[in-house]
Amino acid sequence: MFSIFTSLFATTTQGAPANFWLPKQASTVAQSVDHTFFVITWICYFFLFVITAALIIFMIKYRRKGNDVIVKGPTHNTPLEIAWTILPLLLVVVIFVVGMRGYLDLQQAPEGSYDVQVTGQKWSWTFEHPKYGATQVAELTVPVNTPVRLLMTSNDVLHSVWIPDFRVKMDVIPGRYTSLWFEAIAVGEYNLNCAEYCGKDHSKMFATVRVIPKEDFEKTMIKLASEYEDMSVGQLPAYAINRLYNRCQSCHTLDGSESTGPSFKGLWDRVKSGDVNFISGEKLSNLYGESTTYEVPENYIRSSLLDPQSHIVKGYLGAMPSFQGQLKDKQITAIIEMFKHLDELTDAEGNITVNPDGTPRQ
Amino acid sequence: MTTLTTQNPNDNYLNHTKGIKSWLFTLDHKRIGVMYLVCVLLAFLLGGIFAMMIRFQLLTPEGTFMTQDQYNQAFTVHGAVMVFLVIIPAVPAALGNFVLPIMLGAKDVAFPKLNLFSWYLWIFGLVFFLIALGAGGIDTGWTFYTPYSIDKASSMGGVIPALIGAFVLGFSSIFTGMNFIVTIHRLRPKGMTWFRMPLFLWATYATAIIQVLATPVIGITLLLLIVERSVGIGIFDPAMGGDPVLYQHFFWFYSHPAVYIMILPAMGVVSELISVHSHRHIFGYKFIAYSSISIAMFGFLVWGHHMFTSGQSALMNIIFSLITFSVSIPSAVKVFNWLATLYKGSISLNTPMLYGLSFIFIFSIGGLTGLHLATLATDIHLHDSYFVVAHFHYVMMGSALIGFLGGIHHWWPKMTGKMYHENWGRVSAILVFIGFNITFFSQFMMGSKGMPRRYATYVEMPEFQIYHIWSTAGSVILAVGFVICAIYLLHSVFAGKKAPANPWGGRSLEWQCPSPPPWDNFPEQPEVGDCYDYSVLEWNEEEQGYDWRKDAVHPGDEQKA
Repeated sequence: MFSIFTSLFATTTQGAPANFWLPKQASTVAQSVDHTFFVITWICYFFLFVITAALIIFMIKYRRKGNDVIVKGPTHNTPLEIAWTILPLLLVVVIFVVGMRGYLDLQQAPEGSYDVQVTGQKWSWTFEHPKYGATQVAELTVPVNTPVRLLMTSNDVLHSVWIPDFRVKMDVIPGRYTSLWFEAIAVGEYNLNCAEYCGKDHSKMFATVRVIPKEDFEKTMIKLASEYEDMSVGQLPAYAINRLYNRCQSCHTLDGSESTGPSFKGLWDRVKSGDVNFISGEKLSNLYGESTTYEVPENYIRSSLLDPQSHIVKGYLGAMPSFQGQLKDKQITAIIEMFKHLDELTDAEGNITVNPDGTPRQ
Repeated sequence: MTTLTTQNPNDNYLNHTKGIKSWLFTLDHKRIGVMYLVCVLLAFLLGGIFAMMIRFQLLTPEGTFMTQDQYNQAFTVHGAVMVFLVIIPAVPAALGNFVLPIMLGAKDVAFPKLNLFSWYLWIFGLVFFLIALGAGGIDTGWTFYTPYSIDKASSMGGVIPALIGAFVLGFSSIFTGMNFIVTIHRLRPKGMTWFRMPLFLWATYATAIIQVLATPVIGITLLLLIVERSVGIGIFDPAMGGDPVLYQHFFWFYSHPAVYIMILPAMGVVSELISVHSHRHIFGYKFIAYSSISIAMFGFLVWGHHMFTSGQSALMNIIFSLITFSVSIPSAVKVFNWLATLYKGSISLNTPMLYGLSFIFIFSIGGLTGLHLATLATDIHLHDSYFVVAHFHYVMMGSALIGFLGGIHHWWPKMTGKMYHENWGRVSAILVFIGFNITFFSQFMMGSKGMPRRYATYVEMPEFQIYHIWSTAGSVILAVGFVICAIYLLHSVFAGKKAPANPWGGRSLEWQCPSPPPWDNFPEQPEVGDCYDYSVLEWNEEEQGYDWRKDAVHPGDEQKA
């Protein structure tokens, strides 16, 4: 109880832990934002105390006794009223200036920041590291104590990147770029949420920001950028389910349950046999064969990834975006191999049972 | 005017004519006000049911009983119904229609037929909302942000009917505002000068100005959105070179002033409640009157603070932040003046006053937390979080709706001619106060700690469950308070004690006509005096109400002397 009480009045130091009002501080700007927050909050406590005290005292002291009471009191007092107009005005000007200065610090990324390209798409985040040619989905790895600048755009509707522990937020808009920057001050994992409503799975549009030591960063990125290139086809399914499936997760389940798109469980069997009906009335098996739409079943999957609107499965809305330009050929192969070996990668409840390197998960 | 003045004393606006048609085609402002009141309260029930669905869904991180799509519809319908069908028309159209002409000393509003038409437009608006629910539902949020709202593949099929509904409701609101402006300008009787008007009328007047000037903008915006969604003209659609952020500017250019359409009339109600129920002359009449007008004016200049994270330029953010702070000053002035009114008063802790006092406390929290959101550095973190949800519920619900409830209780004896059960009223008011604060204070805490709004689930953030449980528990207390309120109010209509003309000792003109008022309000022209001077009244045991003192100087006598 006492700790709650003291944290109410916390003044913050860099990297302070969570308190009554705010989460832990994990970026360089957090301290100054929190300082502004508590300056305002203290002003709030003061005025709320004065107002509440006056209310309670008046309620008790001037409570009506009997019915027929004539009360006399002042009807106005111009100097007093001018005073309580001007004083709050001065106070809010101070708050404005403090807030504006803090905001300008949030705006300007330092020279030489590490750049990450962010794409929001219903309902997942993709992070590309141009320097290393590496792509991450639903997780963002950055070095500690290094300014990082996110250059962001959306492929569909509005989204918004919010990392509460860093105190940063910026909307992600189709047809233009927006940016934000942060410098993480502690190694660890932090939540990144979508803060702008974007439809059905808005609340699942989640990513983890993984802050790692500077000396490990380059190694990690190079490994990430090239890990699948050196893999044999046999190693690809484990890679795909760990590194690529989180992009599909919000619409496609692994346990056979219904969602926005068809479940991946048993998908390869249905595709191979051609037992899939489209809203156009066509059946997949009629499209297979030489000099037809899909020579082999694998080509149907490839087309579903790159041009998903060409054939929409009956019973679904066709909400799938195109992954044209986002997946390398070998990654498409990896996804197809993942479908073929899904039983070896998951258990009956749809939990993933292998690590990216193929070892069984604990 | 025919000579209605010599009729029998039991004749009033409720029994003057009979039958359903005499209501549906009535031009009487009091009946139209009552019809609005009934409809708004039914819409409040509808919006409230969706609110409870939201609260129960969020009891567990995985969500308890709704799918993502169902939840998204629930919060959209809750928001749209509460804003467009409940809070905007609540005080002006329901209470204002009933009270405004009587307070003014007029027989009706300036355009009675237009007044009835406004009510029918409200009904049409409701019908379109119901069509939207039937035609595939609506899941865009009440804000209809583009490009989600124009993307047929993602958002649901009810978008266009809902937009038409909001468009029609806009006209309902414009007509009411126009009517009130003209009424206040043209129908004030002799002696009713601007500065003799009760402050409720100043607040309603300021509101009416916003309704007339801001609402057309949302009308045009919604039409553009309908055309964009159905034909595709490329104004908001980025795929066609349009600008989705432009929509936000258009939308908030109306919807921020609309916040003051919601709160100003409630502030007007509270000015009446605080003065009448403490029998104390309102403190600083002119400051309160001018603060209403300045809130209405500043309200037009601050819309950009809804867009601090939208990617608009830093310079614009700074300018909008600065202007936003200016709105806090007239609001603070009102609170200080209300407190000064209570000082040395004779405070009756009856139901309307409990709502009035609740309003001051809750509005103070709602207003003060606005400082965190107007400040750029802190808003970046708090934007689109539950902190914002809590803030606007403190203002929209804890203030606007509680002011409305206070007004209902204050004028209930006048409207129905019956007294409600006072002690049940107090119990209900206290439950509403406690329930409200538990529900929404916990939302401030989870918001500043990182809980985003409009989330159907929070699987990755289970640490927020405890706050959601508190919030839901509070909402149950709140709901119980409302149910009790509904029961005793309904009971009073059928079995309540007969109300005296002036149960509280009010001085404004509505307390000079019988309860309920006769068909044409005043048998003879009432005497206009200082509407906050209570020294001329005394308690009459026989009537169980207040009456003129025997030795009081009537305002008319003053003029003769």
